[in-house]
Amino acid sequence: MEQARLSFHEEIRKNKINSFFLIGIVLVVLLALVYSIGFIMGGDFFFIILIVGTIISILYVVGGYYKSADLAVAASNAKKANGPEYRQYHNIVEGLCLASGLPKPKLYVMHNQQINAFASGRDPKHAVVCVTDGAIEKLTKQELEGVLAHELSHVANYDIRFMTLTAVLVGMIAIISQIFLRTLFWSSMTGGRRNNSSGDGKGQMIMMVIGIALAILAPIVVALVQLAISRKREYVADSSAVKFMRTPTGLIGALTKIKDNTPMKVSGAVAPLFLAKPTREKEWFQTHPPLSKRIARLERM
Amino acid sequence: MITWILIAVAVVIIFIFFMYYNRFVRLTHQIDNSLAQINVQLKKRSDLIPNLLSAVKGYMKHEKGIIKEVTDARKALVGAEGVEAKMKAGNKLQSALKSIFAIAEGYPDLKANTNFLHLQQELSAIEDKVAYARQYYNDGIMSYNVMTTVVPGKWFASMYGFNKREYLKIAEAEKAVPKVEF
Repeated sequence: MEQARLSFHEEIRKNKINSFFLIGIVLVVLLALVYSIGFIMGGDFFFIILIVGTIISILYVVGGYYKSADLAVAASNAKKANGPEYRQYHNIVEGLCLASGLPKPKLYVMHNQQINAFASGRDPKHAVVCVTDGAIEKLTKQELEGVLAHELSHVANYDIRFMTLTAVLVGMIAIISQIFLRTLFWSSMTGGRRNNSSGDGKGQMIMMVIGIALAILAPIVVALVQLAISRKREYVADSSAVKFMRTPTGLIGALTKIKDNTPMKVSGAVAPLFLAKPTREKEWFQTHPPLSKRIARLERM
Repeated sequence: MITWILIAVAVVIIFIFFMYYNRFVRLTHQIDNSLAQINVQLKKRSDLIPNLLSAVKGYMKHEKGIIKEVTDARKALVGAEGVEAKMKAGNKLQSALKSIFAIAEGYPDLKANTNFLHLQQELSAIEDKVAYARQYYNDGIMSYNVMTTVVPGKWFASMYGFNKREYLKIAEAEKAVPKVEF
């Protein structure tokens, strides 16, 4: 186990630091949101909203950390890979775990005809790996092995912790700020006006502007941070997959087949976790480098 | 003041000594552990053989030779001592198995037998796992040997008595593709 850890040392350290800061930033953003919500709409209930909101935020972040893998599995509607048709899948993962010194992760399957896969969890001991039915049916054994080696590299260098945390926490911030924006709109249409006459209208307006700015900016900022880092991750995982398998052929074959994929529907929040981007997006908003570039790099190995 | 600096330096030096010792110990554990993994896989392989033979016997009545070869290879593997010997016996068994699977191609009834198919799949998975476990073992040996040859690891290694270790090699004869006779 130590050997894999040693060679990934730098990546692991970065991922742990990033995860720590991500949790910190998300917590601060959430508390700022709670505070502005309380300030704008609370009135007499300001402190109650503040306390309840703070407790919810902390519970949410802690829950996100410990339950991230379960959330990712639930969001992608995956099932446990039991049954004889998944024997080869289990065998390949067991073999790759022997090659990398990792404990065997929990294996899941998504019922989808597209070829794709993802890994999640907070550390290698609590990791999950999930592939689509399409990957199991359409890929040869060596190609599937390449895909799984790529996912296990994400597990080994703690990408899963940072990426899942980002997916879960950022996805939720997006939802919360959307709720916030709508409530704000609603309250300004109805109840909000009443308080204006009682003075302090200016302070309220300022808080409102800050609140709206936060609500709009928070998800964008965190998403962009995540994008910038996650492209490099894919290259690193590709090359570690080659290190485990000692040949790039399998992964090249799998990526070539994925190129012909039609887009699949997954929740936007978990999209960055996947082996290849599940939906078609504009180049600058992609979490993954283009497949042709990844294949070209692998061919040079 | 000076005494404090001296104490700090001494603490740092002791820490470095401990750190290197622990690194060697950790690598040795990793190597031992991957060795245990190889043995686990080889054991699984020899455990599956009786099932395979009983599945095959009913169909392959005229292939006594190859069945005996597999049985003997299994006996040799069970009796082998030491990694090198075990790996060697394991490889011999694997090539005998390959012949059995090649011969099975000529028996459509056997190929349709789910039990046989399952055993065939498991045995080929074990072959992969043995290869991967050996790769991990050799990776471990490599890091260990690098540690014992570079400076300052080299000095610590000779001080603590950690010597260079041998890679697990595949003998030339076993690299050859098994011969299949019909």
